[in-house]
Amino acid sequence: MKFQVNRDVFSEAVSFAVKLLPQRTTLPILSGVLIETIDTGLKLSSFDYEVSAQTEIAADIEEPGKILVSGRLLADIASRLPNAPVQFSTVEGRITVNCGSATFTLLSMPVEEYPTLPQISEQTGLLPADAFATAVSQVAVAASRDDVTPVITGVQLEVSNNSLTLVATDRYRVAVREIEWDSGDVANTETLTALVPARTLQEIGKTFGHSGTISVAITSTDDRELIAFRADRKTVTSLLIKGNFPPVKRLFPETVDNYAVINTAELIEAVRRVSLVLEREAALRFTFTIDGVTLEAIGSEQAQASETIDAHLNGSDTVVSLKPAFLLDGLGAVHSEFVRISFTKTENPNKPGPVLITSQSSKDQPGADNYKYLLQPNLLLR
Amino acid sequence: MSKQDGSTRQVSSASVDSSTATILHVDLDAFFASVELLDRPEIAHLPVVVAGRSARSVVTAANYPARKYGVRSAIPLSQALRLCPKAIVLEPHFEKYRFYSEKVMAIFDDVTPLVERLGIDEAFLDVAGARGLLGSPAEVGELIRRRVHEETALHCSVGAASTRFVAKLASGRAKPDGMLVIPADQTLAFLHPLPVGALWGVGAATEEALTRRGLRTIGDIAATPVETLKRAVGEASGRKLHDLANGLDPRAVNPRADEKSVGHEVTFEVDTLNSDELRRELLRQANAVAVRLRTAGWVGRTVVLKLRYSDFSTITRSRTLAESTDVGRRIYEEVRSIYEAIGRHAPVRLIGVRMEQLTPGEGQQPGLWDEDEGWREAEDTIDAVSARFGRGALRPASLLRSTAPLGDPRNLPRQEH
Repeated sequence: MKFQVNRDVFSEAVSFAVKLLPQRTTLPILSGVLIETIDTGLKLSSFDYEVSAQTEIAADIEEPGKILVSGRLLADIASRLPNAPVQFSTVEGRITVNCGSATFTLLSMPVEEYPTLPQISEQTGLLPADAFATAVSQVAVAASRDDVTPVITGVQLEVSNNSLTLVATDRYRVAVREIEWDSGDVANTETLTALVPARTLQEIGKTFGHSGTISVAITSTDDRELIAFRADRKTVTSLLIKGNFPPVKRLFPETVDNYAVINTAELIEAVRRVSLVLEREAALRFTFTIDGVTLEAIGSEQAQASETIDAHLNGSDTVVSLKPAFLLDGLGAVHSEFVRISFTKTENPNKPGPVLITSQSSKDQPGADNYKYLLQPNLLLR
Repeated sequence: MSKQDGSTRQVSSASVDSSTATILHVDLDAFFASVELLDRPEIAHLPVVVAGRSARSVVTAANYPARKYGVRSAIPLSQALRLCPKAIVLEPHFEKYRFYSEKVMAIFDDVTPLVERLGIDEAFLDVAGARGLLGSPAEVGELIRRRVHEETALHCSVGAASTRFVAKLASGRAKPDGMLVIPADQTLAFLHPLPVGALWGVGAATEEALTRRGLRTIGDIAATPVETLKRAVGEASGRKLHDLANGLDPRAVNPRADEKSVGHEVTFEVDTLNSDELRRELLRQANAVAVRLRTAGWVGRTVVLKLRYSDFSTITRSRTLAESTDVGRRIYEEVRSIYEAIGRHAPVRLIGVRMEQLTPGEGQQPGLWDEDEGWREAEDTIDAVSARFGRGALRPASLLRSTAPLGDPRNLPRQEH
């Protein structure tokens, strides 16, 4: 095998291919990147049986072939190569990489043992890439990172007609956002769902954020369900998480009368400042009155803190106790100058009603997006 | 110290004011020997020693009639038989001891959550908080002694005092089958005539070092300057002995002493393959574990099932929950599913349920939803009813038929009064 390729194109393709590889893998061969020659140039692939990535780039092929090299090592090398065309050639299982004044010799891993990647040709619908990337970053923060409950380590995608809803939860908060979905000529009569690992979806969001339109396929082969995202000659597939996502959307209140509007940046700053004195896992106390909102960090013997900032309260005075990390995730996700915090009622005296965080473009104007972040407060201990 | 044969027995009169003696030390009398004699009541008045069959075995336990002959735990059996040739030798059955120990400890747990177990047959209880519900420390002590006897036919002795170490000395003096209350203002009068060997931490070497200096009683030590004691027995021990001799023992009853888990286990008198019976026992234990968690204000995240088969091989299987819990039903569901995942198994000799990864329940971040809300409310109600009418007033229907986990009613402990 022998080819020459543009340095930047090659480096970008390798870094895309290795990005989704797990840090540690049980099978060394799965840590490799497969490089094969095709009619139009090169195809680079990676696969760990859960997630696969493939991309095609242009290259001058002198001699067709197929090699498998350590992904991380190749990515490190590619990113440090001098600015010159990159030449690959193989002699008896040894790969020589020449670039300007630099030469590397690498060992090929056994190509014949590498698994076959899932090949998906169908298309279920199209997504606007920027909206999708934003929605993923807003929703995935609420996904659980605890493998004890695999179903909630994923982001639930729900397709119906012209919209895609993304939902994630870790039992303590739920984040939901709806974006446009173009299912083409096919009218979806039933709601289609796919539960995608949150970590994978976040990488997909970052990778395709500037790709214009993403083509999505949700399919099942050999009773394995998977989802594929395609744009810019790049394809990512992921196995879906099995199991039923909890019906969390019904936790959202229909209407809320009692709410406060606050400047988002001011609130984030104040939360970060006041929670400096908190012990790990402890909650901040928020007192909303007509005069603003007072944040109090209590409960630690060493130090206490408090701060009052402006808040426009609509309704009665309210006190809630919130975990700062959970609140900050929601505030960071609203992407708007102001934020609306709504207080829901509850019939259970042992559990405060959840608070709802939504965007607000000005003091009086709710945000245009439909992002919703529901957070369960702690019990008030005082 | 006392000769352990009851000859120095000292008990309180009913009129003693126990309000300052809120720490109880409860110790079962001649525990192993008494358990063996439950099956042989006809020889209870004769000298009995519990020991293995081997020629070189040592005495595991001796009843009070045998102790009168000078027979003690840990002396060689051959020596015991020289001291008391008429002694009847019974073989030990450790699983039985554990079974009765659990029963007795469960009675302690009913009285107060502040129970610090010391081995298999004794415990400290802080009963200061029980006054409203159960009465003065002396009344609680009598309640425990009565319940232990009614429910197991065993006898125990109770020492009540304002500190742990005086309570322990008092229970030793009250044996057998007695109670001795040492009100706070009588602590020193009780302590000072006792020999130095009665103090905690005084072994043979320290006792020798003290008596060589003419310090024979605890009163002698109390009257000795602490510096002199430190020179005699070392810096730390000197300070500690001086404190103890003056009735000072700041350590509280600590139910969480080294407690990293909360568990129950039971040995069947007859090995069983009956999965209904095993599930019923899992339910009983899951609820008992949950009650202990709730009383202590803890939640646990890992459920552990322990099974010992008839050949004594033992397996444990655990599962970590999405959220920590103190709900008995949740613990039962998990442990039952762990049990069912094991599939076919050999006859079971012992089964146990344990919760690990314990954290304080207060301040836990509540979830947006709670699958166990209904069960939680039901169990809170049971707690409230139990607080008024006693544990067992309400329990799951499947546990109504048996009060004890023993499969065969013929194996129920005899209850002779």
